[in-house]
Amino acid sequence: MIRVEHLTKVYQRVKRKEGVLGGLRTLFSTEYETTRAVDDISFHIDEGELVGYIGPNGAGKSTSIKMLCGILVPTSGHIEVNGLVPHKERMTNALQIGAVFGQKTQLWWDVPVIESLRLFRDMYKVPEAQFKHNLNLFNELLDLHEFQNTPVRQLSLGQRLRADLAGALLHNPRLLFLDEPMIGVDVVVKERMRTFIKEINHDRRVTILLTTHDMTDIEKVCSRIMIIDHGHIVYDGNIEKMRAQYGTQRTLVVEFEEEVPEFSVPHATLTRTEGKKKWFAFNRFETNPSTLITYVSTQYPILDLAVEEPEIEAIVRTIYQQLPASVEKAER
Amino acid sequence: MKIFWAFARQHFHSTAIYRFDFWMRVSSIFILMYGTRWLWITLYSQRPGAFGVSLGQMVTYTVLSMAITNLFFTGPPYYMAGQVRSGAIDGDLLKPMDFHFHMLARSTGEMIFRIFTITIPGMLAGYFLFDLQLPASVQSGVMFVVAFLLGYLVNFHLEFLLGALSMVTLEIDNIDWAFHATTRFFSGQYVPLWFFPGLLGTLAAILPFRSIFFVPLSIYTGVMRGSAITQAILFQLFWAVILFIVSRWVWERVQLQIISQGG
Amino acid sequence: MNGFQLYFRLIQISLLSRMQYRANFIAGILGLVFWNIINLGLIGVMVTQFTSLNHWTLWELVFLYCLWILCHSLYSLFFSQSTHMEDYLIEGTFDQFLLRPANLLIQVLGRELQYIEIADMLIGITGIGLAYIQLNLQWNAWLWSFFLVAVVSGAVIELSMNLLIACSAFWTGRSRGSFIIANQFYGLVHQYPIDIFGKVFRVFVTGFLPVAFMNYYPAVLLLGKQGQLGSAWPLSYMSPLVALLLVGVVLIVWTLALRRYSSSGS
Repeated sequence: MIRVEHLTKVYQRVKRKEGVLGGLRTLFSTEYETTRAVDDISFHIDEGELVGYIGPNGAGKSTSIKMLCGILVPTSGHIEVNGLVPHKERMTNALQIGAVFGQKTQLWWDVPVIESLRLFRDMYKVPEAQFKHNLNLFNELLDLHEFQNTPVRQLSLGQRLRADLAGALLHNPRLLFLDEPMIGVDVVVKERMRTFIKEINHDRRVTILLTTHDMTDIEKVCSRIMIIDHGHIVYDGNIEKMRAQYGTQRTLVVEFEEEVPEFSVPHATLTRTEGKKKWFAFNRFETNPSTLITYVSTQYPILDLAVEEPEIEAIVRTIYQQLPASVEKAER
Repeated sequence: MKIFWAFARQHFHSTAIYRFDFWMRVSSIFILMYGTRWLWITLYSQRPGAFGVSLGQMVTYTVLSMAITNLFFTGPPYYMAGQVRSGAIDGDLLKPMDFHFHMLARSTGEMIFRIFTITIPGMLAGYFLFDLQLPASVQSGVMFVVAFLLGYLVNFHLEFLLGALSMVTLEIDNIDWAFHATTRFFSGQYVPLWFFPGLLGTLAAILPFRSIFFVPLSIYTGVMRGSAITQAILFQLFWAVILFIVSRWVWERVQLQIISQGG
Repeated sequence: MNGFQLYFRLIQISLLSRMQYRANFIAGILGLVFWNIINLGLIGVMVTQFTSLNHWTLWELVFLYCLWILCHSLYSLFFSQSTHMEDYLIEGTFDQFLLRPANLLIQVLGRELQYIEIADMLIGITGIGLAYIQLNLQWNAWLWSFFLVAVVSGAVIELSMNLLIACSAFWTGRSRGSFIIANQFYGLVHQYPIDIFGKVFRVFVTGFLPVAFMNYYPAVLLLGKQGQLGSAWPLSYMSPLVALLLVGVVLIVWTLALRRYSSSGS
């Protein structure tokens, strides 16, 4: 579906000059500063994949997405979406993609949602039967009928995002970009939108690229995760693998029959105590739960236990800081 | 008094936006000065010395008018309308400052800022490039400043009343337009009031608008002299006081309405 | 959906949006009418006292003013959004346009119908009508056709000028300032015959920012005042040519602007 090979985008910006006549001097300056927003990235995404695309701000995320949408022309490299080169065939590409931007609506502000949808129907040449079918689907899964006659300006955030989803999917795009689609939304609506995204992906095999800062979204929805930083792809693979590779720290949570004093456990660190519970962090390569449990149970009687996996957020933070914990520990 | 300087200083610090704004306004003034000077030279070539006013005085009048135009429209109406629309008015009402004076301070701060950044450069340009003459006499110069300040107060209160009206009707653009159009005409901003024939002339003489441009500019150019100056100043004072009182009265009521409607 | 269909659908949805604010409609129209009356009033006061402005009598000035208004209202009614390019770039609206399977220029121009310009249009027509009677103009078929062509050309000229200024935003990020300055020139050319100004100004608004072709030059022809131009009288016929020329320039610059946008992403 998406093929990206050695994609690079280099920006050359005229160096802005300071001072009173700064603006004018900038206009006549020939000093440039070069930024490699996207630096030789390559990846393939197959049809029907649900990929989480994350990275710190300024990492090159929006630049790469803009190139996939055909809005931006690459400096070098090859990019292909469903057989088309996006920037060369902007309008044809536009027919096969859809996008939802959490920060800004794609619909017309002052008119009822349904009017925007009708205009999209005409713009994207959606056959009437498909239009009606999709509307029914949206009514069912997004409760569209509750607010379709309301102007976007009067919608709540959750409703507006749902309306934008409807707008983005009306023409049955093969590829859907979701850029922070659930920002600021309450948990109930979030859950519904996650379900909707998974269903659309599953039923229609729509390829989805989800950009978000909320790791729970990624965890619950995506099967694959790509991390970009400073223009490079620093991780590309499925989530379980990532956890195994980078999430070396697991936690054993033990609830004792009574409150017990602090004690040390070989190969584990006590990170937290709350009443009768104690949290022990350990490196998955140094020991395993059963060894720890055996040891702990010889110290004090145990009431209950659980093993916690590392949070994706912590893992990603680790990757951002480019200090893969596993590499350090493994080398000891 | 400190408040006025506080607001003015605020503007000096946000240089980035204002630098740009500055160049735009100054360039606009240049163009307008150029235009108006030629306009009056052409007109006067047909009737030199019309109405006992020399060409030099006439050109000075309009060129100076362009230089000081920016000082008057400092935007209380827009600010007020905007605050109500966005709900931020609550923040203003919570402050331990009389709203009326708050607006006056803001407006004056902006005005002072513009004197230094726009008007003075404008006047210099006018003097060197567009035949702007010096005041007719030292006395004229001084009285000009007095008349300008009074005219400023009259204009401020008119704008304040406009703003108050817009806070109630939630409608600003059209009211603002109508007001500016009227001011354009009756204030002598573009065409000095001594040209106005018959009924228009009479109307212009009694409406407060002449306080804004016509009086200060006539004094500066020396067209208005002696007792005429005194009369004009009293006229301005009269309107300034009346409008001040009306503004406060209106504001009491508007504030009440805003509070009871929840802003 | 072809270009025209797209344009009309966009206008339709914009009208729908405007109708949400009905009260503004009437107030807006009244405001505009009032503003124009005031402007004409000022000109009237001046001219009455001086009998003419460089051989332009009152009704000739009314004609000049209203010819501008007619061209402007035609342009503004359909295309006033062209001045908002800077906002579209900053707010990301332009990216949204790029995501849609539709022509970009039409999306930009079709964003809104400035219904309020109908007021200006009426004023323009009324003013010209009155001037025609007062001046006892007697146009033949050729002059009538030229009048119509001049109005359309004038609208095209303003559209092109504004689009060119708007496109500067693609390179400098800002167009608002340029518009403010351009508007000063528009204001002067709109209200006064340019022959009262100095040579530099006249050359500027004829050759560089050719807005004098919106009202001045056609008016000279339509009012039979070629004398004002002396040896430059051919200029009075040239507004359609200027319009066509500008359209060509706009198309080139627009293409360059798009190319720049998609390569520098700002």
